[in-house]
Amino acid sequence: MNTPASSTAAGAPPWRGAANAPTTVPGSASSSRALEVPGVETYSQEWICALLRSTLPFQTLPEELLHAVARLARVRSYAAGQVIYRRGEEADDIHIVASGRVRHELLAPGQERLERTMHSGDVFGWAAVLEAPRQRLAETTALERTEVLQIDGEQLLQVIERDPAAGSVVMSRFAAMITREFSAPASVAARVRHLNGRSAGPAGVPTGWALTMYRLAQWLKSPRPYLMVTGFGILLTLWYLTVEVWKLPRFADMPGLTVVVKEMFSQDPTYGLSVYTPEYYQHIWASVRRVGIAFVLATALGVPLGLFLGWSKTFREYVFPVFETLRPIPILAWVPLAILMFSGTESPVIFLTFLASFYATALNTMLGVESIDESYSRAAYCLGASKWQVFREVIVPGAMPFIFTGLQISIGVAWFSLVAGEMVSGEFGLGYVINTSYTMVRYPTIIIGMVTLGLVGYVTSAMVRVAGDWLMQWRVRELTMGGR
Amino acid sequence: MAAVMETTPARAVSGRTAAAQGAIRIEDVVKVYDPGGAAVMAVDHCSLDIAAGEICMIVGPSGCGKTTLLNAIAGFHSITSGRIWLDDQLLCGPEKPLADPGSDRVVVFQNGALFPWKTNLDNVAFGPMMQGRMSRKEVYEKARGMMADAGLSGMEHNYPGELSSGLRRRVEIVRALMNDPKVLLFDEPYRALDSLTKSVMHEALLEIYYRNKVTIFFITHDLEEAVFLGHKLVIMTSRPCRPKKVIEVDIAHPRDYGVLTSSRFRQIMDETSEVVHEEARKSFAAGEKEG
Amino acid sequence: MQAAVFSRASLQLPMPSQATRRAVVSILLFIVFWEAGSRSKEWLGTALPWIGMVPAPSAVLQVWGGLLTDPGYWQSWYLSLMRVLMGFTAAMLVGIPLGLLMAVSRVFNDMWFPSFEVLRPIPPLAWVPASIIFWPTQELSIGFVTFLGAFFAVVINVVGGAKSIDTRFFHAARAMGASQWDIFRRVVLPATLPSIVVGSSVGMGITWNVVVAAEMISGGGSSGSGGGLGFFIWNSYVGGSYEQIVVGMISIGIAGYACSEALRRLGGLATPWLRKR
Repeated sequence: MNTPASSTAAGAPPWRGAANAPTTVPGSASSSRALEVPGVETYSQEWICALLRSTLPFQTLPEELLHAVARLARVRSYAAGQVIYRRGEEADDIHIVASGRVRHELLAPGQERLERTMHSGDVFGWAAVLEAPRQRLAETTALERTEVLQIDGEQLLQVIERDPAAGSVVMSRFAAMITREFSAPASVAARVRHLNGRSAGPAGVPTGWALTMYRLAQWLKSPRPYLMVTGFGILLTLWYLTVEVWKLPRFADMPGLTVVVKEMFSQDPTYGLSVYTPEYYQHIWASVRRVGIAFVLATALGVPLGLFLGWSKTFREYVFPVFETLRPIPILAWVPLAILMFSGTESPVIFLTFLASFYATALNTMLGVESIDESYSRAAYCLGASKWQVFREVIVPGAMPFIFTGLQISIGVAWFSLVAGEMVSGEFGLGYVINTSYTMVRYPTIIIGMVTLGLVGYVTSAMVRVAGDWLMQWRVRELTMGGR
Repeated sequence: MAAVMETTPARAVSGRTAAAQGAIRIEDVVKVYDPGGAAVMAVDHCSLDIAAGEICMIVGPSGCGKTTLLNAIAGFHSITSGRIWLDDQLLCGPEKPLADPGSDRVVVFQNGALFPWKTNLDNVAFGPMMQGRMSRKEVYEKARGMMADAGLSGMEHNYPGELSSGLRRRVEIVRALMNDPKVLLFDEPYRALDSLTKSVMHEALLEIYYRNKVTIFFITHDLEEAVFLGHKLVIMTSRPCRPKKVIEVDIAHPRDYGVLTSSRFRQIMDETSEVVHEEARKSFAAGEKEG
Repeated sequence: MQAAVFSRASLQLPMPSQATRRAVVSILLFIVFWEAGSRSKEWLGTALPWIGMVPAPSAVLQVWGGLLTDPGYWQSWYLSLMRVLMGFTAAMLVGIPLGLLMAVSRVFNDMWFPSFEVLRPIPPLAWVPASIIFWPTQELSIGFVTFLGAFFAVVINVVGGAKSIDTRFFHAARAMGASQWDIFRRVVLPATLPSIVVGSSVGMGITWNVVVAAEMISGGGSSGSGGGLGFFIWNSYVGGSYEQIVVGMISIGIAGYACSEALRRLGGLATPWLRKR
């Protein structure tokens, strides 16, 4: 696993500009430092900039500043097993792994020991950007022959202070990195140094957007998006080939890929429905409206019912049996009865959708309440809460994650029922479109309808999920911390 | 067969008088469960006296019923017979088998019960806010102060899920103390922590105790923890549990970790470990699951 | 004294638990309200909205009694059950291996899971016309849609279950010298079984929904295909025999419940370690 000691060996890293290789003093694991490498000439500026750019703290730094920071970097080399620094030592430099691997054992105050392996591009030694007194919080050891970029903390601050706005972003990102990637408590991140008096602590942490961009960049570097596109490509190609090129007999009546795409995006579609026709949006709205009404009603009735079913044993014993007896009847078996019970064409469809949604919501809510650890309500009683207070402060928030999972299921089920309802009885709506397109032999429109259904269904489901994430910040934060 | 262990009279501990708050008297308590007809005795004629302001460590093998005892004091489980007193108030007895939970006896749970959906500060403020005896401003001022005393400032607006378990325990203790309880009931709170964090937690707990002088009823299976923290050690038998041996730990408070290497500590450990081990073996042979 | 004790002991019947008593009471109350509501026209003068249109339980029972001797009724049962079983079995046979493959192979997952997720939001019933165009017989087209409904549910549950297997099981197996195949057979498969069971219950519910709806939509059909309980209900509506609608609904409920119960038992047999918790 150890890389060869000499850079003239085959497989030398491509960033080596000059011939002189960094040398190490062998065997002295107890002595702290290797010989300083005569500089930055052995690493190209472009390579260092690229490495800095890939790290979270420096990612958004403007070009000139990035180059200035790159010029501050020195390279040090460590042999396998060599200690880079120990806990308690004075912290001067931040470190970035250029090549090799480093073991990082962090013990932040009041925290359990956290061990990580650092690879090329990982930043450590960030104690150098904390307020004085600055001591190393971790012990770091090279696991194999490793080269590390080191940047002096004071010099770094002087450079980035030239652009205070960009500079404070850098410090905020250090704070974010410390909290998120090293799981250090907020009290440590709060000590990240200020720039000209402006706070760089967790209050300035770039949540959301910057972090998403960073993660997006990481994702794009992996093979995953390309595999995904390949998968789509294969399916779409197969569709195209079987219908339009090979013209297989089974597929004779199927609308081809090009036909559907042309129809969907044509200004004057043959069968009257494309993204340019108003009828398209009328149908979408008709379906969305029905689902919306049914879903809101189902949630408004189902969540309280589920909460009470879970909370009160008496209530459950009286009400749940009726609920359970009706449940095995598939929602769609209610279609004729719904038509009988409700007049008009809208109400039966909405009723069916409501019924499906209501069951899913009520059941999941009830299960959610039952899944709440009883320690929480016990703790609340201990602390002097009344029964009603426990319900409001413990049961309702505690069941929220389950309620939202239930709501996502509920909206999926709602679309399922809606489409069936629209196909059997109803005017307008995507289900209606699909059905009539079939009876009127407008096959490409069937596919347009299906695709639209999929899209709209996905979007509404995502909306529910986002609403859940927004309401339950605590859960999102807990999950990003690895659920500790 | 009632085995009433010699009880110490309710005596003063470090300045608290017997008439003051927090003395617990457990009188001949029996708890029988009845899961589907099979009568299972969890607590067998247990009698115990805990002085006000005393740290009483309950040590016993897994599943022996010590948590049942704690739950009976807290008001989560009823008792089949016997009485439990808190000072001169009857918590539960023959006419009232289930005690009312209350903020004079607050529990710190094994896996932590900080509400994950509330910030740490809101958690700490929870008790007084629910009871409504202080204004919101007063409650939050007190909460901030107590968190600072416990070394938790800076974490008010984080959620419990963002903290390590050691820190969470501390927040939970502060939450309990906000209510000026007479008794703190600990149900193996440090069981899931590594020994390094545990030692930090012990010193933190003692620090808090020296400032607040509540009675502490602490269940553990860690003998070292018990001897280090406690004034009194009660070793329980395997299920059904009753006190097998009561040991006074006469090492002076305030204690620090230097105590661990003292000779008196080693002596007490020697006296007790064989008894504990014997009960543990019985429990293991009976195939007990952790409570 | 002794005689009293003796007779008490022998005559002591097990009292139904409070929960059972309450359940019985509430179901009876429900039926009473149903009956009263359906007959509201007779005793109120005007029919109550919604419930007033529903056939009364007494009428339903009467009609049902008549149907029990009708072979056509039982044939509907048979047809629906067959469709459910075939679609469901196909979904399990294709879905479980696919789900396991996605969970086990990163490359396979990254390539095909996104496409799967894109197709999943499209409700199964939206596939009916496309299915009819594609498949030669009506039976096959209904079967395909039934298969789709259950398929997505099964795969999602299998993938979710396999992904949440504690990595320590893998470490333990490898430490004991297990090969990749061994790990798959002895760790992945058993650990995923509970999720397979859950996925299959969800799939079963969806299957019944789809079969009933498909039968309603595709109508009676010609040359022996068609029919089934869904068609029975729809036909009863069209033909004006409203009590039969309710009979059909309850029949499907019973059939569906029986299938789910059978699945639960099978699932319990396959995962004995969960039962004994």
